[in-house]
Amino acid sequence: MNAPAEPSINWQSRRQDKQRRMASLEGIADGPIIPTDSIQAALERLLRSGDKVVLEGNNQKQADFLSRSLGALNPDVINNLHMVMPSVGRPEHLDLFENGVARKLDFSFSGPQSLRIGQLMEDGLLEVGAIHTYIELYARLFVDLNPRVALLAGFKADREGNIYTGPSTEDTPALAEAAAFRDGIVVFQVNEIVDDVSDLPRVDIPASWVDYIVEADQPFFIEPLFTRDPRLITDVHVLMGMMAIRGIYERHQVQSLNHGIGFNTAAIELLLPTYGESLGLKGKICRHWALNPHPTLIPAIESGWVESVHCFGTELGMENYVAARPDVFFTGKDGSLRSNRAFCQLAGQYAVDMFIGSTLQVDGDGNSSTVTRGRLAGFGGAPNMGHDCGGRRHSSPAWLDMKPDDHLLSKGRKLVVQMVETFQDSAKPTLVEELDALAMARDYQMPLAPVMIYASDVTHVLTEEGIAYLYKAQSLEQRRAMIAAVAGVTPIGLKRDPAVTAQLRAEGLVAYPEDLGIRRSDASRDLLAARSIGELERWSGGLYEPPAKFRSW
Amino acid sequence: MSELNANFQGNYEGGFIDLSARKRIESLLDSGSMRELLTPFDRLTSPWLEKQGIVPQFDDGVVIARGKLDNKAVVVAAIEGGFQGGSLGEVGGAKIAGLLELAIEENRKGNPTAAVLMLETGGVRLQEANLGLAAIAEIQSAIVELRQYQPVIAVVTGPVGCFGGMSITAGLCSYLIITREGRLGLNGPQVIEQEAGVEEYDSRDRGLIWGLTGGTQRFASGLVDAFVDDDVSALSTSVRDCLAQGVPALHRSDDISAPLTRLQQFDTREQIDAQRARQALTEGKTA
Repeated sequence: MNAPAEPSINWQSRRQDKQRRMASLEGIADGPIIPTDSIQAALERLLRSGDKVVLEGNNQKQADFLSRSLGALNPDVINNLHMVMPSVGRPEHLDLFENGVARKLDFSFSGPQSLRIGQLMEDGLLEVGAIHTYIELYARLFVDLNPRVALLAGFKADREGNIYTGPSTEDTPALAEAAAFRDGIVVFQVNEIVDDVSDLPRVDIPASWVDYIVEADQPFFIEPLFTRDPRLITDVHVLMGMMAIRGIYERHQVQSLNHGIGFNTAAIELLLPTYGESLGLKGKICRHWALNPHPTLIPAIESGWVESVHCFGTELGMENYVAARPDVFFTGKDGSLRSNRAFCQLAGQYAVDMFIGSTLQVDGDGNSSTVTRGRLAGFGGAPNMGHDCGGRRHSSPAWLDMKPDDHLLSKGRKLVVQMVETFQDSAKPTLVEELDALAMARDYQMPLAPVMIYASDVTHVLTEEGIAYLYKAQSLEQRRAMIAAVAGVTPIGLKRDPAVTAQLRAEGLVAYPEDLGIRRSDASRDLLAARSIGELERWSGGLYEPPAKFRSW
Repeated sequence: MSELNANFQGNYEGGFIDLSARKRIESLLDSGSMRELLTPFDRLTSPWLEKQGIVPQFDDGVVIARGKLDNKAVVVAAIEGGFQGGSLGEVGGAKIAGLLELAIEENRKGNPTAAVLMLETGGVRLQEANLGLAAIAEIQSAIVELRQYQPVIAVVTGPVGCFGGMSITAGLCSYLIITREGRLGLNGPQVIEQEAGVEEYDSRDRGLIWGLTGGTQRFASGLVDAFVDDDVSALSTSVRDCLAQGVPALHRSDDISAPLTRLQQFDTREQIDAQRARQALTEGKTA
């Protein structure tokens, strides 16, 4: 017998709540357009204290006008907001907590604001829900962190609310979708409102997902975060790059990969057209990339190494170059880059053979973290890409090469390579007895230590001393000895037994440059395909336009 | 150099800026003609740096050599910008002064010998103070004497640029060659910022810095004679061209009355920009 539906249940409370909030904007908004100088009044009416609010903080697209306006609200009216932010990169993001408008924070990455987050936690003004990886945070938007309001950023909108995100689409589709389809309110700041949809280069987010648009008082802040000046690449970076190419890329036939940001990986990118070419590896390795458009990849692309690059976001100065290479990059009908962090992170998690990146600390077991005392930097995407993805079911030569045996029930593995110099500077070893992350977890009573990549996921540790092939370790003890063998004169390295190290080298568990046929004296900057920003510009045929902070002319 | 490195040197485009002082000289001179004088094996180090906790270098950051350019005798000095910012101390300064005096002597003996100076320098080495200044004075008086016989050619490519007392040295040369990354100025950006304030001169504003002191501006203002790409062969051609032109009829440093008048008339109350600076330096001048 079917009981009639309980008449007192309202199944549309969220929708009605949204309608009530939007009705209160009558007289302020003109259709979807909120006038620039009315943004505070509008936010005060659209928000309720305690709301979950998504604020778009990205790498290269910031809803900074909206965050400044939010920070200027009266905390007696709006307070205790629960902010959900992929990246907390701007000082004004944290002003929200200082003045009491917001209280709780769920985020992925904080970078330059890491120290201030720690201070606000200590002062009891900010409560961290969790530090996520990017995909994890997007996933929770559709489960228990669904937002009432999403404050997002685009380059341009038309008067209907169609949005052009520009080449840094980044997080926008994931964030907008989570709010738009569960009666959340979607507000976009844009640099410019045009009259008609035909005036937009392309539509990245359709108007039917968008409730309000507002023209920002100034264009959003953008900074070239992924540019590494080749002039700062050292001979040691070159040596490590040669070892990576010889001892990892070539040995395991790595065809698809992500590179972390840093001079180590920039050196590898610049060695492909020279050293890689001399080994005859073109077309055999490094064909498909999940990567931002790094300027240091230009020589490899121009020499025909790279078949495809999918991007998390853009890089300032690379717009014209990317637009001129649509066979390599993902571009829209307008010709310019279409990036998407959610999909690129998924690609990095599921579809690449290898993640290789640097970090600030590695312990004797191989756990690593970028958290150092007092700084809560967050993870960003490295743990997504830097872990073996148990759900993977497709094979590739590199993935299969990690199989422990030939049994049909054995799985391959993603290569997760930690590439570090043994010292950050003369007083700061990278290889440490205990990660600062553990002290941090104790200090702040966190349930988990903020570990970037767990030892169990790391397959290789590469230092200027050599490579430890950790995936081959038979025991935890052997694994520690392998790391010690490449740990140089750090406290961990000094404990190694030379006889054990010799044995590990003989068995191929550890390789020093000589074991790979690399002469240390060959490792010089002469091998780099470009040694300055100016040379990268030249490689690009003038398409790459280096931002002022990287120009020395 | 190993075979591996040699392979990439051969097909390497451009890249003079990235070369070390020694390789710069080698890349410029007729092949096989370079003979370094007072090499690192002579261990002529600064006696002052170690006392101040600074590791010295066996060539004191200055490489000097004799060699041939288009089969003509030359002396070449290059300052290593990577060592102590290319600063000039007692030993490095004496090496350059001595080299120029050697060329003067050769000319007096009837052996025409020109000079090339590759200047990547912040000027005098502060740790050696007056001894460095004295050495720079000796270099300058040697240039003034040598340039009567044969051209003295200065090359400023970056990355350091040429500042302080050595910018005056550059101004005394017969010819001055620059790249877009090269900079030429009396005071370095940080010094000006410190003295005049960040509102007047922001040393981190690279557009402003290169706009005022960079190679493009210096060439357009007529303060240098040749503007070349950062390219070994372009630079080498330019140096050879200057050498072929011989001693100029009138040296820039003897032609000061017009620029001096223009400077004296310059109104400093308004914030200067690249355009105004260029105008002030070239007004009424015929190309």
